[in-house]
Amino acid sequence: MSPAFGRGVMTNHMIDLKNTNCALIMGSNMAENHPIGMKWLTKARLDPKRKAKIIHVDPRYTRTSAVADLYCPIRSGTDIAFLGGMIKYIIDNNLYHKDYVVNYTNAAYLIRDDFSFTDGLFSGYDEAKRAYKTDSWNYQYDAAGKIMEDPTLQNPRCVFQLMKKHYERYDIDTVCNITGSPKGKYLEVLKTFCATGAPDKTGCINYAMGITQHTVGSQNVKSFAIVQLLLGNIGRPGGGINALRGENNVQGATDMALLFQYLPGYIDSPSNIADYKDLISYIRKTTPGAAKLPFTNLAEFRELVKAGIPYSGWKVNTSKWIVSMLKAWWGDAAKPENDFAYHYIPKRNDTKNYSHMAMFEAMYKGEIDGLFINGSNPVVGGPNANKEQEAMTKLKWMVSLDLWLNESAEFWSYPAWERAVKNGKVPHHTPKDIQTEVFFLPAAAVYEKEGTAAQTGRWVQYRWKGADPVGESKADLWIINEIGKRVKKLYAGSTRPEDEPITKLTWDYDNPHDPEEPDVLKVANELCGYTPADGKPVEGFAKLLDDGSTVCGCWVYCGCTTWKDGKMFYKAQSRKKDDPSGLGLFPNWAWSWPVNRRIVYNRCSVQPDGVTPWPGDDDRRLVWWDPTKPADATKPDVLGTWGGVDVPDFIKGNGPASAPFKDPFIMRPEGKGCIFGPTSSFKDGPFPEHYEPWESPLGPIINKVALNPAAKVWEPDKQGKSDQYPIIGTTYRVTEHWQTGALTRNLPWLAELVPDMFVELSEELAREKGIENGSEIIVSTTRGDIKAVACVTKRFKPFLVNGKTVHQVGMLWQFGFKGYATGDVANRLTPHIGDANTMIPEYKAWLCDIRRA
Amino acid sequence: MEVTRRQFLKVTGAAAASFGLMDLGFDMKATAAAVKGLRIKDVTPTPTVCPYCASGCGLVVYAEKKDGKFVKLLSVVGDPDNPINEGCACPKGAAMFNLREIYDEKGEQVINPKRVPKPLYRAAGSEKWEEKEWDWILDEVAKRVKDTRDKSFVHKEKIKLADGSEQEIIVNRTEKIASVGGSGLDNEEAYILSKMMRSLGVVYLETQARI
Amino acid sequence: MANMTNLYDSSKCTACRGCQVACKNWNQLPAKIDPFKGNYQTKESTDGDTYTIVKMTEYEHPVDGIQWKFAKFQCMHCLEPECMKACPRGAYSKTETGATNHDPSKCIGCQYCTYACPFEVPKYRKREDKVSKCTLCADRTAAGLKPACVTTCAPGALEYGEREELLAKAAERVKYLQMNGFPNATIYGRTELGGLNKIYILTDSPDKFGLPVNPQPYGQVNFWQNWVQPYFGWLIPIALAGSAVSFVTTRILANKHAAHDEHTEHGEGVSE
Repeated sequence: MSPAFGRGVMTNHMIDLKNTNCALIMGSNMAENHPIGMKWLTKARLDPKRKAKIIHVDPRYTRTSAVADLYCPIRSGTDIAFLGGMIKYIIDNNLYHKDYVVNYTNAAYLIRDDFSFTDGLFSGYDEAKRAYKTDSWNYQYDAAGKIMEDPTLQNPRCVFQLMKKHYERYDIDTVCNITGSPKGKYLEVLKTFCATGAPDKTGCINYAMGITQHTVGSQNVKSFAIVQLLLGNIGRPGGGINALRGENNVQGATDMALLFQYLPGYIDSPSNIADYKDLISYIRKTTPGAAKLPFTNLAEFRELVKAGIPYSGWKVNTSKWIVSMLKAWWGDAAKPENDFAYHYIPKRNDTKNYSHMAMFEAMYKGEIDGLFINGSNPVVGGPNANKEQEAMTKLKWMVSLDLWLNESAEFWSYPAWERAVKNGKVPHHTPKDIQTEVFFLPAAAVYEKEGTAAQTGRWVQYRWKGADPVGESKADLWIINEIGKRVKKLYAGSTRPEDEPITKLTWDYDNPHDPEEPDVLKVANELCGYTPADGKPVEGFAKLLDDGSTVCGCWVYCGCTTWKDGKMFYKAQSRKKDDPSGLGLFPNWAWSWPVNRRIVYNRCSVQPDGVTPWPGDDDRRLVWWDPTKPADATKPDVLGTWGGVDVPDFIKGNGPASAPFKDPFIMRPEGKGCIFGPTSSFKDGPFPEHYEPWESPLGPIINKVALNPAAKVWEPDKQGKSDQYPIIGTTYRVTEHWQTGALTRNLPWLAELVPDMFVELSEELAREKGIENGSEIIVSTTRGDIKAVACVTKRFKPFLVNGKTVHQVGMLWQFGFKGYATGDVANRLTPHIGDANTMIPEYKAWLCDIRRA
Repeated sequence: MEVTRRQFLKVTGAAAASFGLMDLGFDMKATAAAVKGLRIKDVTPTPTVCPYCASGCGLVVYAEKKDGKFVKLLSVVGDPDNPINEGCACPKGAAMFNLREIYDEKGEQVINPKRVPKPLYRAAGSEKWEEKEWDWILDEVAKRVKDTRDKSFVHKEKIKLADGSEQEIIVNRTEKIASVGGSGLDNEEAYILSKMMRSLGVVYLETQARI
Repeated sequence: MANMTNLYDSSKCTACRGCQVACKNWNQLPAKIDPFKGNYQTKESTDGDTYTIVKMTEYEHPVDGIQWKFAKFQCMHCLEPECMKACPRGAYSKTETGATNHDPSKCIGCQYCTYACPFEVPKYRKREDKVSKCTLCADRTAAGLKPACVTTCAPGALEYGEREELLAKAAERVKYLQMNGFPNATIYGRTELGGLNKIYILTDSPDKFGLPVNPQPYGQVNFWQNWVQPYFGWLIPIALAGSAVSFVTTRILANKHAAHDEHTEHGEGVSE
C-alpha cells in the first residue's frame, strides 16, 4: 500500500466499518480472525442508510462466508487475475468515480515512451539477475520539471490508457478459467462491489494474510489500491483498504522498526553504499526531489526546503525526523560536528537481504551465533519449519522471552524431533548433539504489566496493570532494560570508537519512584519527543527540527504526550467517549498516529474544491477548507485553514492558491494515489500482473511467465511438481487459536474448542483417497510430512481450472508439540519462497499429496 | 458414590461460593443474596487491551485484593467503555483469565501450570532446563552478546563512490546476532528493543510483520 | 414479573464461540478437552462443565449451494420444564423471571432430568456427583447485568430482554429475512413444548440447525410422573443404580479420553 498511497497502514479503522455500503473481504477470514469487525459490519448491514452488503472471496468457505451476503470461491494465488478482471469491468462499464480519478490519482499522468509490457514481462528485465531496471517505469516531465498530464484521460501514454490496455486481457472467461470461480458468482461480485464507484457510495476492502503470503503479495495489495482509487473509495468513511493486522502490536512493532529496512517511523535504514555514507548523503537519498539539488550541509539544505522542493511531499521533513531520532538515541554525543552521530547507526550490507527467510538461511549455513526470540515461535510459524528448526541447532546461544516454553524455546528437546513419518531427507537430532545454550526469560502477561499497543487502525491504547506477574516473571520492558543496562556496564570505560554506539547510548528508563520497575512514561516521553531546553513534549511532528534542538525517538508518535497540569500526560491513556460526528471517530479515545488522525488521506472525502461533499454524501465529509479562519494562531491575518471532524491529513495552510491543493496523498512525492507505481516503488512491475504461485498445478495461462519474474528462489531443488504433488495446500488460522498457538493452546478453554491439528478436504477428494472424516491422514511435500485429523467437509470443493479439476486441502498452522492442545507443525510443509518486494513467505499456495495414515 | 459426595462437600473457594448462591434458590430473598454474592461487586476493574488480533478490543481485569495487594483474578471480560468492542469479546478475548489462572479438573482455581515462574537455562548438549536467578541469567546473556559482537564486529568498510574512487566508511555492524519477534511487545518495549539492537549493530532484525 | 430471556439471531452469529468461553469464565468452569472428530463444533452436546455450545451444521442447498448453519445451544428454560417434573428431589424450580433453576444442594446425581430433557441439556458433573446446566446467569441478571453470553457476543447475535418484547422483535426480523433471501426463516421457541424461555431467529427450518423440529417430552417422563413420583419410596434404589451406571460410563469415557491424551502428547512414531 505504501507505494500507492505513501503509507503502508490500514487506511480506516475498525469502527469505521459501520459506515460502509459494501465490504469486500478477500484473503481474510474476518469473522474468525478479527471477530469484532463483524460487529461493525453487522451494524452497516442493519443501518437503513447503508444497507451494506458483505462479500467474501476466498479459497475456503469459512465462518466469514457463512455470514456473508455473497461468497465466491477463488483458487489460492489467483487474486490478481480476479482483481484484474474487476479493473477491466470498472473501466468497460464506466463505473469509475471520474472526478476522483482525474484529480486524486496519477491516472492522467503520462508515462515514458520506453515503458512497455510484453508476454508477461515489463520493460527493463534482466533475466540473469531475475530483476528489473525500473528507469522506464516513470512519468514524462516537461522542460520545467513538471509531470505531464492529460486530464481527459485520452492520451495513449497516460496511466489510465496504459492500465486499460494492460487489463484488456483479463476478460471474465479468462479470469474464471484461472481462478476457478463460478462465472455467475464472479459477475455478482463485480456488480455488487463496483456499484460503490457511485459518488454517494463507499466500499471497503478488508484483507489479511490470504493476500500478502504469496510470491505476488505486494501486487495483490496494489490491485486493491487500483480498484479503490478507481472507485473513489480511499480517504472516505466506509471506504479504504483495511489491512487487518494479525498481532496486537504488529503495527507498533513496525512503527518502532523491528524490521531491518527501516528506522523508527519508516525512514530508511542505511546500507554500505555511497548514498548513505554520511548524514548529508542520507538526507539527499531519503528526501524526494533532493537528489540533484546543490547542497553540501544542513544549512544549505534548509534554505532549499524553505524555498520549496517540488514533488517532495511531506517526506521533505526527513532530515528533522532522523536528526531528532539521533538526538534521542545518543543525546549530547549527537552533535552537528559529528553528523549527529549518524555513523553510529549500523549500515547493512547493501547486497544482502536480512528478512526472516534470509536470516534462517544464514543461520542454516552457520553464519549466526546468537538469536533473540521475543515472543515469537519460528519452529511453528516459520516457513519450511524443518529447515528453520535445523538452522537453530547451529546457534551458539539463544535467548527466548515468552510466557511459556513454546516449541522454539524447546527446539532442542526430544519431542521437538519426533516426526509422523520416517523421512531421511528431514533432519533429526537428540538434545545431546545440539550445542546451543538456551536462556529462557519468563515474561509477564499483557495485564500483568503496563504499556501501549497500536491496534490495526493505528489507535495507540494504554493497558494498565490488573494483576501481578506469575512467579518471578517480568515485564518485557524490565527484561530489555536490564539487558541494556548490563551490556552497557560491560562496555563501560571502553574508549574504542566502535563501542561508542553503546557507551554513548542514552539508556535511562529506571523509575525514580520504584527501583524494581522501569518507567513506561520515560519511554513515552522519548517516543513523543521533547525539547531538551525545557523538557516539555513536542506537540506534533510539524514542530520537529534538524538542528539538534528537538529530541524524538519515533516521529510518527510525535504528539502522543502533552503537558497538562504541570505534568506529562500520555494521550494513549485518554478514555473520553465523545463522538461528535457520529462516524465513530472517537477523537478523544486513546490517540491515533499520525497526530490523532483517524482516517488517513481524508482530503479525499471532499470534492477537489476542498469544500463540497461528494454528491449525495454529505454525512461522510471528514475535513474541509475553511477560508474564514487562520491556520496559524500566531498569524491571525492569514486566513484559510483545513478543519473538520477528523484531523486533516493535509498541510493546514495549503489553500486553493497553493499547487498541492488537490494532492491528497501527502506522503507521496507527486501527491497522488498511484494507479501506476512509478520507478522503484515495486520490484516486480508498475501494474499487477498475474503469475502462478511457485508451486502450481498449472503452467502460465494469461502470459508466458509462470512465476513472478522478480521473486527470489532460495531452494530450486525443493520445488514440488504436480505429477508427484497434485494437490494445492494452504494454511490458515481459526478464531479459537492465535498465530503459532503458544498463547492459546496453553489456555484450557481454547484448547478445548479446537483440541487437535486438522486438515480440511472435500468429500470428492476424500472419496478418491479413501479417507474418512475424523480419521488420521498424512500430508507430504518436498519439505516434509505431517500427520493430522481429516476434516472432510462440504465447504471444500474441487476447482475446475483451465479445463482441469484441481483439489485443495487446507490446514491450521497453529499446532505444535507444546501446550494443552498439540499436533504436528503445518509449516514443516511450506516452502522457502517469498514475495518479490516484502519477502513474506508463500504460505498460502503450495503443492502436496495426502494419504491415509 | 459416598466418596464423591464427601468430595463435593470439601470443595472450597470460589466454586463453593457460587454454589452457595444457588443453594438458596431464586425467591426474592435469594435474589438479594445473589446480588450480594456477585463476585465482582464493588471491585474496580482495570482496563487493558487484548493481546491477540490487532483489533484493539478493550478488556477489564477484576482482581481480588487484600490490603492493596493482588491476591487472585476474579474475572477478565470485555471493556464496556471501549468504543471498539463495547464490552464484547471473542473466544480468545473471553479466555484471557486463563492466561494467568485456570480452573483445574476439580474445578479449583490455580495458576496456569504452563506459565514459567523462574528464569531457565539449558546448557549446551543438555536434556533439561535448570532454574536460575535473574541476576545470573541476565549477566550471562549480556556476556554472550558482548562476546559475539566483539568477535564479529565490522567497524569500517571500503565502499565505491559514484566516481569510481574508494572511501572507507563506518558501518558498525554485526551479522552474528539476530533478533526475531516483538509484535506482541508493547510500543515502549519494542522501541527500546529496536534502539538496543541498533546500538549493538544488529542488522538481522525482524518482527512477525513478515511471517 | 415478566419472563426475561435471550433472543438468538442465527443470521448474525459467526459461531466464534465467545459465548461458550464467556460462560465458562463467568461460571468458573474447567475445560474438558475432548478429541477433534471432524467437525469444528468439537463437543456434540453440553456437558457437566459446558453449559453452552454452538452447533455447526453443514447443509447443501440445491440452488444456493453450501451453507453453514450455526445455533447456540444450551438449556432452553422451557416454560413447562420436563426436568422439573422428573426430578425426585425438587431440585428444579422456576424463577419469577422464567429461568429454570437447578439447586445442586438438593441434587443427588440421579440424572433422571438428563434423560427427561427433550433437548438432553442437563449433564452429570462427575467431579461433584451432581447435575449442572445453564442458569441464565441468575447471579448476573439479579444484579442488573446481562448474561455473560449476551455481553460477550461480538456480532450482536444475542439480546437479553422481556420475552414478549423479544418475540415481537423476532417476528419483525423473521419477516425481513423471509423477504431477503431466507424464505424459510422462522421463530423457534415461541410455541415449542409450550414455549421456551430462549427465543431463536432461524434462517431456515430447525433441522438445518441440529434442533428438534417439534420437540416432545420423552415417554419415560410421563411414566415417571404417573407411576414413580407418587411412590417416593421407590426412589433410593433406582437412583443409586442410575448413579452407578453413570459412574461406570463416565469412567469409560474418561479412560477413552486419557488414551487420546497419550496419543497426542507423544505424537506417535512411524506410520508406514
